[in-house]
Amino acid sequence: MPDTTYLDASELVINMGPQHPATHGVLRVKLKLDGEKVLGSEAIIGYLHRGVEKIAENRSYAQFVPYVDRMDYVAAVTNGMGYVEAVEKLLGVEVPPRAQYTRMILAELQRIASHLLWLGTHALDLGAMTPVFYTFREREEILKILENYCGARLTTHAFRIGGLQYDLYDGFEKEVLKFCDYVGPKIDEYETLLTTNRIWLRRTKGVGVLSGEEAIALGVTGPVLRGSGVRWDIRKVQPYEAYDKVDFIVPIGEHGDTYDRYLVRIQEMRQAVRIIRQCVERLAPGPIMGKVGKIIKPPVAEVYHSIEAPKGELGYFVVSDGSTHPYRVRVRPPSFVNLQALDLMIRGHLVADVVAVIGTLDIVLGEVDR
Amino acid sequence: MVQNAFQFLQAHPLILATIKIVIVLLVLAGIVAYLVYMERKVLAFIQARLGPMRVGPWGLLQPVADGIKLLLKEDIIPAGADRWVFLLAPVISVVAAFTVFAAIPFAGNFFITDLNIGILFILAVSSLGIYGIILGGWSSNSHYPLLGALRSSAQLVSYEVAAGMAVVGVLLISNSLSMVEIVQNQQKMGIWNVFLQPVAFVIYVIATLAETNRNPFDLPEAESELTAGFHTEYSGFRFALYFLAEYTNMVLVSCIAVTLFLGGWLRPFPNVRALDFLRYMPTVALTGAAAFILWLGLKSRVAAERYVFAGLGALCVLLAGVVAIPPVLDAIQGIFWFFVKVLAFLYAFMWYRGTFPRYRYDQLMNVGWRVMIPLALANVILTAILRYCLSGRHPASLTAWVG
Amino acid sequence: MGIKDLLRKIFLVDLLKGLRLTFSYQRPSATYTEQYPLVRPPVAERYRGAPRLNNNPETGETLCIACNLCALACPETLIVVGWERTKDRKKKLTTFTYDLSRCMFCGLCEDACPVDALELTQDFEIAHYSRQGMIWDREMLEQGPRPTRYTR
Repeated sequence: MPDTTYLDASELVINMGPQHPATHGVLRVKLKLDGEKVLGSEAIIGYLHRGVEKIAENRSYAQFVPYVDRMDYVAAVTNGMGYVEAVEKLLGVEVPPRAQYTRMILAELQRIASHLLWLGTHALDLGAMTPVFYTFREREEILKILENYCGARLTTHAFRIGGLQYDLYDGFEKEVLKFCDYVGPKIDEYETLLTTNRIWLRRTKGVGVLSGEEAIALGVTGPVLRGSGVRWDIRKVQPYEAYDKVDFIVPIGEHGDTYDRYLVRIQEMRQAVRIIRQCVERLAPGPIMGKVGKIIKPPVAEVYHSIEAPKGELGYFVVSDGSTHPYRVRVRPPSFVNLQALDLMIRGHLVADVVAVIGTLDIVLGEVDR
Repeated sequence: MVQNAFQFLQAHPLILATIKIVIVLLVLAGIVAYLVYMERKVLAFIQARLGPMRVGPWGLLQPVADGIKLLLKEDIIPAGADRWVFLLAPVISVVAAFTVFAAIPFAGNFFITDLNIGILFILAVSSLGIYGIILGGWSSNSHYPLLGALRSSAQLVSYEVAAGMAVVGVLLISNSLSMVEIVQNQQKMGIWNVFLQPVAFVIYVIATLAETNRNPFDLPEAESELTAGFHTEYSGFRFALYFLAEYTNMVLVSCIAVTLFLGGWLRPFPNVRALDFLRYMPTVALTGAAAFILWLGLKSRVAAERYVFAGLGALCVLLAGVVAIPPVLDAIQGIFWFFVKVLAFLYAFMWYRGTFPRYRYDQLMNVGWRVMIPLALANVILTAILRYCLSGRHPASLTAWVG
Repeated sequence: MGIKDLLRKIFLVDLLKGLRLTFSYQRPSATYTEQYPLVRPPVAERYRGAPRLNNNPETGETLCIACNLCALACPETLIVVGWERTKDRKKKLTTFTYDLSRCMFCGLCEDACPVDALELTQDFEIAHYSRQGMIWDREMLEQGPRPTRYTR
């Protein structure tokens, strides 16, 4: 029989290549289409693999901290926080409260920065080309604060094992509070432009629906999970640092579509401002570094510690064999697990929605590929 | 001597027409080139940034630089492309867009021709531009441009219907298809058509946004979509021609909207004697422009920029003086108001681009067929009923009751 | 849908609100552009930029005691410290090589230095035309930041 499969013209496989203005990095997605409708997809990753976990085996615990920032390069502070806390758990080190509150302030600032970048690029993918400039301007203010604190804007290396290297500079509290006052009205501006806009509603309501059960089955975390109605935030369920001492609500969505995830992230930005204000109030003079020796040599043990990064649950599994270098560091990246939901979410939608759904998952390829 | 020249021109109407055509073409080409610059600047200010600043003072030479770049690019024709059609397609778009300007009145005393079927001619010839898109996509011999061209042309055809129906509403009030007579009718009634036909105006604006592939209806040419549009395979000067055709279409559509709805070359409240001082607006505007240019230029740090701006400011002041002479002021009234209104309309196009997200293709067609066309039809029917009732021929008309 | 929502939908209120916001952004005070290189951005005091070997301001001698802690702290092992022993068995610095092309500006070397000899300055314009130019020796490190002039 002659091979007539190529004559089956109803299904078309299209490649949304690694170089694409809207895939937020080097992500390759193979789409199986029937006309304009997506029947299935396959995501091919690995274009940004840099061997970060292998590097960890050849560096000491303190030397590995700068490498961790490079994974989720959009939110470097929270990456550092996860790893540093995992090692502190391994060592059994207690971090002083001043350092805890400072870490929380910086992590929440980073959460706002990450969500601002997400908002700008998501709106840009859907055709609104102005919010990206506004959100990057607000992000600039946050990066200025980070630069004043630790000396770098993007690859911050803000935390050290056991506490902080730098104490707060003069005027830190004033600048942070000024930023909190500044960003509230700006978030209202973004909502004016997008939340009630009929074109935005048409593009995002009902697109990329993920039900709560499906989300839990796939293991997605973060705003994607909360947008589907599951109340799960690691800051509330397994509090780390001093998150159990501050007051904030966890926004959850109803329908699990793109619009709900948008609303969840906007609310998270507002709650982050609330957390920052409370932490600034509770800052008291004190030491910033716990009891850690010059050479870090943890006992033979293994620990898994996860935090609520802006993109989801960021976990570090550190295995120590008693020497100065870790035996194995395994990173559980939120974007990698969330990306698995892409296939389920775009079935039955049109090609133009694929871009919207990739945007709403908020993936960073540095984290997916490590 | 001047009398002889006028008599000569009256005797040979073709020469006058040729001169007018050349003037219109040159001015139009200049306007379209600087329209691109204006769009970049307007978008930039909306987005809290500055736009082109490096090429020439305040980026004023940017269109020149872009033109030179596009001319010098390599001319690529895809293998297997239908060569003659590939070369012809952008030309069709440009020619269709430019030809329509023959029927548009820029002022009471300046138009290339006044056809008694003006609107029909305009709608017909501007629709020919769609051929340029289809043929461009087809001749590229690649399925992405073809899909993009088909989508684009389907969108254009759908919104042509809505735009046409909106125009019919205006025709019902104006009793005539001739563009000049439509404006003269607005002068007689003392009110712009937009106040009598607001729904038709809104429909026309939205339909022409979709006609010219502008945000929020620019999915066929958006970069973040898979099909990159009908002009994927075009590079260099041919791409420039498509670009030129798109912006000329924008200017065309604004001119038509201004003529039909916003009173053409009439000043606001044309019949109100009390507002006659508005006659001096051209002088005031030119003086204001001169002041603005001088203020901008004097802030600059580079000496060359200061000289250029001082020169431009002096030129504006000179023009303001020339325009203040009464005969020139009277002659220039129509063109001035027309220009201001078209500029405002074009600014609105860029404003929308900076604000709204874009519609998905099926939602776009949905809006076109299920919202715009029924609304336009309802508008036509309502206008017709109202006209009949208010015309006094029907015994139950309002004038019979009011007496 | 209530009557108010219906009116909002007909009169395109949501679109007009967005238009009003973007219109208000066209005031010159809202422009957020820095015209680099005419105006250089002010960087923070703690900014981790190009490295510099500090000298004693009075005597002009180097502060570095050749303890090699910076080389041991660096994750990329790109610092090479050379020393010799003087007559009274003290260490004296001879060569100091810093490979900027592999540096990730993490600041671990700066943190490790006990005498504040190695410092990461505020200089961020460190591009060079060759790979060899990115490997800085002791002389270049002691010179410190040299901001390039781009305009008259």
